[in-house]
Amino acid sequence: MGAVGDAPGNLGSRLRELLGRLLGLDDDGVSTPLVLLSAAVAAAVLSPLLWLLLRASEVPLDEALSLLRGSTEVFANSLVLVGVVTAASVALGVPLAVLTVQTDLPFRRFWTVAVALPLVVPSYIGAFAYVSAFGPDGALADALAPLGVSIPNVYGLGGTALVLTLFVYPYVFLTTRAALLSFDETQLEAARTLNVGYLAAFRRVILPQILPAVTAGALLVALYALSDFGTPSIMQYDVFTRMIYVELNSFGDGRANATLLSLQLLTVTAVVVALESRIGDDADAGYGAPAASTAMISLGRLRWLAVLFPAVVSLFTLALPVGILTMWFVRAEALAYEVGGRAFELGFALNSVYAAALAAAATMVIALPVAYYSGRSNAPLARLTERATYLGYAMPGVVLALALVFFSSNQLAAFFGPTVSRAVYQSLPLLVFAYVVRFLPQAVGATRSSVLGVDPALIGAARVLGAQPKAVFRRVTLPLIAPGVLAGAALVFLTTMKELDTTLILHPTGFTTLVTYIWRVQEGGYYGRAALPALVLVVLSGLSMIPLLVQRRDT
Amino acid sequence: MTEEFSKRRRRLLGTLAGAGLVGIAGCSGGDDTTGTETDGTPGVTDTPTEGADTSGSAEFSEFRGSGALAEGRSEIGGTRISELPALSGELTVYLGGGEGGLYRDLLTKLENIYPDFTATPRPYGTSEGANTIITEGSSTPADVFWSVDAGSLAAVAAEGLTSTLPDEVTDPVPEQFHPDGDWVGTAGRARAIPYNTEALDESDVPDDVMSLPDSDVAGQMGWAPTYGAFQAFVTAMRITEGEEATRQWLQSMVDAGVTEYDNEFFVSNAVADGELQAGFANHYYALRVQEARPEAPIDLAFTSGDAGALINVAGAAVLEPSPQQELAQNFVRHLLSAEAQEFFATRAYAYPMIPGVPPVGGLPPIDELEPPEFDLARLSEIGPTVDLMREVGVL
Repeated sequence: MGAVGDAPGNLGSRLRELLGRLLGLDDDGVSTPLVLLSAAVAAAVLSPLLWLLLRASEVPLDEALSLLRGSTEVFANSLVLVGVVTAASVALGVPLAVLTVQTDLPFRRFWTVAVALPLVVPSYIGAFAYVSAFGPDGALADALAPLGVSIPNVYGLGGTALVLTLFVYPYVFLTTRAALLSFDETQLEAARTLNVGYLAAFRRVILPQILPAVTAGALLVALYALSDFGTPSIMQYDVFTRMIYVELNSFGDGRANATLLSLQLLTVTAVVVALESRIGDDADAGYGAPAASTAMISLGRLRWLAVLFPAVVSLFTLALPVGILTMWFVRAEALAYEVGGRAFELGFALNSVYAAALAAAATMVIALPVAYYSGRSNAPLARLTERATYLGYAMPGVVLALALVFFSSNQLAAFFGPTVSRAVYQSLPLLVFAYVVRFLPQAVGATRSSVLGVDPALIGAARVLGAQPKAVFRRVTLPLIAPGVLAGAALVFLTTMKELDTTLILHPTGFTTLVTYIWRVQEGGYYGRAALPALVLVVLSGLSMIPLLVQRRDT
Repeated sequence: MTEEFSKRRRRLLGTLAGAGLVGIAGCSGGDDTTGTETDGTPGVTDTPTEGADTSGSAEFSEFRGSGALAEGRSEIGGTRISELPALSGELTVYLGGGEGGLYRDLLTKLENIYPDFTATPRPYGTSEGANTIITEGSSTPADVFWSVDAGSLAAVAAEGLTSTLPDEVTDPVPEQFHPDGDWVGTAGRARAIPYNTEALDESDVPDDVMSLPDSDVAGQMGWAPTYGAFQAFVTAMRITEGEEATRQWLQSMVDAGVTEYDNEFFVSNAVADGELQAGFANHYYALRVQEARPEAPIDLAFTSGDAGALINVAGAAVLEPSPQQELAQNFVRHLLSAEAQEFFATRAYAYPMIPGVPPVGGLPPIDELEPPEFDLARLSEIGPTVDLMREVGVL
């Protein structure tokens, strides 16, 4: 009888043990509330997927199959684009990071800011500027034509990849830079004393250590390239997102088809994210890890030649779009179009900053449990919750927005009555939630790498001295990871500033932001009127880069 | 006294209009001048309705644009705002597009006329607006969907989310622009062939768009294949003439040496500069060029009964779930008033939807154009069009 009585107990304890291993409950700093909180965050950001599944299930099976079969070519196009943009971003971002961190490049600080800044230029503005400059009948084409110089076609894969790379490579630059800053210079010196040249040392000593950071940046680039619609559509390269938009624009069954295609896009995202987790496994460096004093590599006279690299990049990423915007602005003044609607108001900029600041703060807080959990534990659930946050980032903005329209308007009204749905739908908190879903991985990534950078021995010491876990978190961990948390918030702030699709559908009525204003006048064909708000957007976003770049100067 | 008079008049009209009139307040909003609405518009004879020549609410000229093209307007017919029941209450209007804010301006003007009326616009792209309403379903907070693309209106109607507009709303508009009464056109944009008047006579431009590639003009023409309106034109051709004929047409134009531009404003500009003899563009781009350069040698030709003469419209629909059907319908009537139509005609250079208001630039009125027999809702079938254009190498 005793044996029978034991069995459930045994089973129970084994279950508990299994559960503990799955959840990583035995890992230091992991508690049940933390696990529950992280799981809740992951579930919340994945909830829009439900709508996709609902709508996609309306597509009859044979139609679904033919749709998926018909999408293979554009799908291949998308993958090629993602491959080229990611490789090119690494090729730009990593050398620029090495130049600005490890060498005696003249005006290093200036270049650090300049080469990080393209991230604030929205791709729809960047692409418009490029088409305007290099397109047929463009400004540069006109200027060079008398000299007999013809400009290669900007449309297609080449142009799309170029423009995307120029405005998203800073993701790689920023993550790599952070990793290089926290790199222990004595290791390089050790290699040197063993008579290993810099290049060999870079390959054998530095690269393995910064690789997780490089792949983390590359992942953000890849997912951006995969889900971006604006640039490929302006540059006329046929990608997967265009198919989704064509379906959405053709109404009828189109909506269901679009959701099915979005699910396919998300499946690919899941594969990419899973693959990346193999490389990024033991990321011990990141945005916020403490910096060592910088290891200098003297470039000698070459340093003046080396300056050409960041200078040329900045010419194409900053000088050119700003120049084109200014030209539009001047032209608009000269033409003095009669434009309807309210003129540009400073309030639009304030609205943008307000919404972006709320989004940054909310994302920062929500990212913390997920980042802390996955930084402290290697348990399957910890990995899963962290990886899950990437799916929202790859969801096309319109699709995400429509999913939230469905839940907050249609479903809330059906279950809780119109009063509830009216309070939630088209409210600022809902818009902020949409931003959180879209941009959470940026904050999770930044925060998690700084959690990984915290020496467990410090926490152990605090515990030995009698501090409660909460107090340890508040007094030891939090101050150490603060730079990473802030860096993540800054990234979210500036991506929110330039977010268009979701904002347009979910904004509170009457809440005009810079991007919705830019969209409104561009849609009317008044490009000149878009120039001033676009410049304001770039400058304001540029200011938010400061915490990303300045925080390490004092260390 | 003008105000007194109009107050009486409004009351009378209100009584006649009967139901739907909530109050008579709001007669004097925006009226701080005392002149009549014919100010600055010599030669205007007013509406046939006796005594409707003055409005206590808003000057007619306030709705008119100020550029060169808005001068010397001929007789304006149609229903005046003063003849319509007053607007009172709050409406949420989803805008699909909106001409860079011009539609908002009109809403503000209406609010100024009627202090008890508030119209809250929410801007969307045309398809985003339609998809949002369809996703919201019966819980949509919108009362009216006002979109610059007929396809988006038809999509909302197809989901049974629009209510049928009464005849008194749709009657002033030619029938093809209010199919089934689900929505009604508020302003049109016609496909046209801008040509350089120094290089060509109107008779040099074929009357049939399909025969254009064989004409002498073809090699001296320009187009903007990436532009949405051009793709809509090719979609219409594909549906009316068939895929094969359209492929050949595109191919022959390419073989003839057509020049590519970024958008149709550039095409029209190049025509005015003499760089091109003619082009493919929406009609209002030539007017914008004329507005900026009144002496420019550019005029418009129209083909007849084919895709080249397609008229796409902006239109409005009253949404079925809205609890304010009468107010919303009355609002749509205001969009079809002489003032609003003059507003679209002289500010956006759009084609007015009521024959009483002529388009600017000496163009023929809406009922004299010969657009093809075509269901505008099908303009949304753009996927196969883009594929076709890629195949030929136009895109």
